[in-house]
Amino acid sequence: MKALWSLAALCALAATLACAVAFGSEPIPAGEIAGALGRRLGASGGAGDGVAEAIIWDLRLPRALLAFIVGSGLALSGVAMQALVRNPLAEPYILGMSSGASAGVSLFYLGFLPPLLSRSLSIPLAAFVGGLASIALVMAVARPFGYLSVTRLLLAGVAVSSLMSAVTSFVTIATPEAEKVRTVLFWMLGSLGDAEWSGLALPAAVVGGLGAALWMGWRTLDALLLGEEPAQMLGAPVEALKRALIAGTALVVGVLVAASGAIGFVGLIVPHAARAVLGVSHRRVAPASAFAGGLFLVWADLLARTVLPHVELPVGIITSVCGAPVFLYLLRTRSYRFGSG
Amino acid sequence: MHPFSCFLRRPLRRVFLLLPAILTLLVGAGCNRPAAPEAPGIEDERGRPVALPDTLARIVALGPSVTEVLCAAGAAELLVGVSTVDDYPPAVVEALPRFNLLPIDYEAILRLRPDMAFASDQIIKSEDAEKLERLGVPVYFLTSQSPEEVFASMARVGALLGRGPEAAAAADSLRGRLEALRRLTAEQAARPSVLVLIGDEALYAFGRESYVHALIADAGGVSATGGIATERPVLSEEFVLEARPDVIVGAFGKDYDPARLLRSHPAFRATPAVRNGRVYSMEASVLLRPGPRLVEAAWHIGRLLHPDAVGGAPAARP
Repeated sequence: MKALWSLAALCALAATLACAVAFGSEPIPAGEIAGALGRRLGASGGAGDGVAEAIIWDLRLPRALLAFIVGSGLALSGVAMQALVRNPLAEPYILGMSSGASAGVSLFYLGFLPPLLSRSLSIPLAAFVGGLASIALVMAVARPFGYLSVTRLLLAGVAVSSLMSAVTSFVTIATPEAEKVRTVLFWMLGSLGDAEWSGLALPAAVVGGLGAALWMGWRTLDALLLGEEPAQMLGAPVEALKRALIAGTALVVGVLVAASGAIGFVGLIVPHAARAVLGVSHRRVAPASAFAGGLFLVWADLLARTVLPHVELPVGIITSVCGAPVFLYLLRTRSYRFGSG
Repeated sequence: MHPFSCFLRRPLRRVFLLLPAILTLLVGAGCNRPAAPEAPGIEDERGRPVALPDTLARIVALGPSVTEVLCAAGAAELLVGVSTVDDYPPAVVEALPRFNLLPIDYEAILRLRPDMAFASDQIIKSEDAEKLERLGVPVYFLTSQSPEEVFASMARVGALLGRGPEAAAAADSLRGRLEALRRLTAEQAARPSVLVLIGDEALYAFGRESYVHALIADAGGVSATGGIATERPVLSEEFVLEARPDVIVGAFGKDYDPARLLRSHPAFRATPAVRNGRVYSMEASVLLRPGPRLVEAAWHIGRLLHPDAVGGAPAARP
């Protein structure tokens, strides 16, 4: 049974990447696509069309891979946040972490923050700090008396999200340069259009790190689902774990927002679907969410690129259209809890 | 026993351990591209180095104002594609393939195989230009902070594209027409204050760096927004009232009813422009595109400001 599942997963991944590379704003015949890929991978020689090769290899493939990495990372962030607050409604976008990261990016980009490191590291760092500050504020508001209230959590998320969007809007409108305004709009809407090979390593590394950590720590995370006190009795280092989850999620969300802007709801719907199929144990939910989140975002981005002729939609529109109804459905029908717990 | 079970005893684990490895391989393959050979370089108008291609026979214009400048420089037949928002000159752009600019459709541009792209600094981000260059298309930026800069651009890109004399003559002719207007309006004692608006509901206007203020000066007026540091400010109604413009010129289209501006902003009744019935609207593309038609825009505004002095004079067409 497991063998079949993995074969199906590999086939789905191959089919998804093939579609992401095959379709785009310009039609390219399948033969040219295969030729372009073959030449770059050194499999087949022969003179080819440099244009098709550039489109396939330098535009579509890095974009599809970035979509996969970002989708995986967002889904894993959702898993981590949901374990942290023991509630399936938690998600970086809903809890204000994404807009905090966007605010950090825009403050840096428009020159309100000093560049501490090289530019390619300063932007993720600014996003990390913004996201961490937001989630720290939300958590502080959500548990004033030592226990966490879901209502407070969601409302604090809404408020902090608005606050951070206001910061972003302020610096956007206050800046005198129109060109930079467009760049900041990109971070607010979310798009994978800036994907390049050189920009894949850092997101892949942090997402891989979070995935490995969640997967290897599945027993502790499962214990946390029982509640903090039972988890502590089972020997889980609850306080350290909570801090690590917050910091790890903020790091991943920061790096992803710097790469692709704030894309919402992936961390909500993907773990939800994974739990519906595989149960609540993180041993399965973490890897399955990472995989399904990646696939989901590749498809969402493909849709964003092709649904309107010659116009590219921000992918955040697609994920919100898919995700917001799921969020509302969960709010209405579930008792705000995992499974029977 | 399943036939593949020897490979897939712990199948999930293997799949997920393999994924990062595959990704690393792909990233490595993507990064190991041969570096582009050093090409003879020039500087564009933003001061960026631009690698000159061996041949310059196929070009694309990234921005409608750039299309107009290239066509005025005599390079229309080199154009192989323009943006989806281009509409002038119609005879040229209607026959050409289109691509989207916001966001840039890199695929569509690459498909046109341009030797070089000419970009408007009002529309294209430096990062996007750098990406296009990494994809093999050098990008030359045109700047446009004054009409003179537009004319100089025209001569410069004309020379670059092997149309030097033709482009220089076209630029000189435009300079001459603007100079003729300047002479007509210089004698006018009254220099009305002119508010140029881009939007009628949100009051978008031109900030300090724009070409529009020089244009208004040539037309015999004083621009009301020349002191604003923001590039595209959204004016408050109070600013407009304080500025007391004698004339309002909107880029709202030729058939715009000035009463609509009053419906959106009733407070404007207090401005001299509204009280004296001097609210005008003109074709947006003529006023908003820093291209050769700026001269037309200047003459048009000149006629509005000084109908007696400029109104009867021929626009000194070449």
